[in-house]
Amino acid sequence: MVICRCEEVTYEELVKTAERYSCSPRELKLRTRAGMGYCGGRTCRNAVDSIALSSTERNVSEITLKYQPPIRPISFSKLGEVVNND
Amino acid sequence: MSKVIIIGAGPAGLSAAITIAENGLNVLVIDEYMKPGGRLLGQLYEETNGNWWNGIKESQNLFDKAVAAGVEIKLKTPVSNIEKMDDIWNVYTEDEVYTTSHLLLATGAAEAPLPIPGWTLPGVMSVGAAQVMTNVHRVKPGERGVIVGVNVLSSAIAMELKLAGIDIAAITLPKMNIVTEKSGNPLDVMNSLLHVSHMAPSAFVKMGSKLMKNDFMKRMGITFFPKNGVKMWDIPIMLRKAVVEIYGESQVEGVTIATISPAGEVIPGTEEKIAADFVCIAGGLYPLAELAAVAGCPFYHIEELGGYVPLHNERMESPLEGLYVAGNITGIEGAKVAISQGVTAGLAIVNSIDGGKQEAKLNDSIKAIEETRNDAYIQFHPEVKTGKQKLLNFWNEHQKAVVS
Repeated sequence: MVICRCEEVTYEELVKTAERYSCSPRELKLRTRAGMGYCGGRTCRNAVDSIALSSTERNVSEITLKYQPPIRPISFSKLGEVVNND
Repeated sequence: MSKVIIIGAGPAGLSAAITIAENGLNVLVIDEYMKPGGRLLGQLYEETNGNWWNGIKESQNLFDKAVAAGVEIKLKTPVSNIEKMDDIWNVYTEDEVYTTSHLLLATGAAEAPLPIPGWTLPGVMSVGAAQVMTNVHRVKPGERGVIVGVNVLSSAIAMELKLAGIDIAAITLPKMNIVTEKSGNPLDVMNSLLHVSHMAPSAFVKMGSKLMKNDFMKRMGITFFPKNGVKMWDIPIMLRKAVVEIYGESQVEGVTIATISPAGEVIPGTEEKIAADFVCIAGGLYPLAELAAVAGCPFYHIEELGGYVPLHNERMESPLEGLYVAGNITGIEGAKVAISQGVTAGLAIVNSIDGGKQEAKLNDSIKAIEETRNDAYIQFHPEVKTGKQKLLNFWNEHQKAVVS
């Protein structure tokens, strides 16, 4: 069963990695690339979070998986304010 | 003087905009969707007094009122980032960067998915997507659907789909795994349903829920819960069945369901197929707080409020100067609470700009939120008040830490 569609990471792979390393959500993300695709984890964030938190404690005062701008898709040229004068 | 900027044209954002504009200030509301109203657009249900709450009408009323008050509204404009530079908030959209001294985040909530084998097939959607297709765009998501996930939102939307002439074969649970642990546990789900039993149309269910106050009765209730479910609006609600797979060649053709034990374990050999051309996944709502997070606002995870919530006080102020929050970003509640919170956030912003002339009104509006909450028809979490208190305690601790 696929959890992260962008990076094609399966449930089985996430559970195995979480069990083996008892890792935080962030570490689970970095080890498997789940949530690092172009959607920025918008679909799988909660799932990655819950799988990692089945073997570690949640830190209630910190978001487990960081948000990075841009939080919505934006074209590269607009992002870099590149003006083409040709 | 710069315009006040509000991100989100839902009930909280619009009511804040109206409040601010009526006090003579300029306001710009930005929303990524093509229609104003946010999640309010999808809502349609009958209240206890027999009146119908029609989200499209309510959205239109708020929008008209905002426009009449002089509010500028930019739709189809996603905000990709916000940051503070030299005491001014920069709001980044695809084409323009807007600046303001007072920024309100009213970005609402998002739906949590429940991973189920086959959930990547075309025809699988969130229950909110089915609601928007049906109620907002008037497009049927399919002819016959199965809803996976039994909660307040999914049962309300099931009824709406039914009203639109769409057949709902069943509302049932997802097969339990680490991610669906809570949504797949029959006892947990029944507990969370009992506090909304007043919404059930059948007097029998209402009576039944009164008998279920203690744990023993609950366990008996779930053990003897009819395997084929109880019907609500003629839709079987199955707490002792779970979807083990969504199947189909190139799109949804149906789901395989199986009987589960009261603890949620699948009983082998009980699998059966239900034909359907669409499947709705209902994992519940969580506050959509991306922008508050990139702004650097402190967060706390509060189960009763639906997840991570940006730290704020009763005046809807965040600890970051000039940054305010209102609506479901502050915890999952109904549209009426969001509207009240919008008024408070609006008054807090006006108060900050005009040097504290709104104190009395502001305090009244905070009381009004409390009253709206007490009268709410739908409580998404029975302990929402406990959650609000927890957050207030975190706020007080944070203030003390800043002072010392």
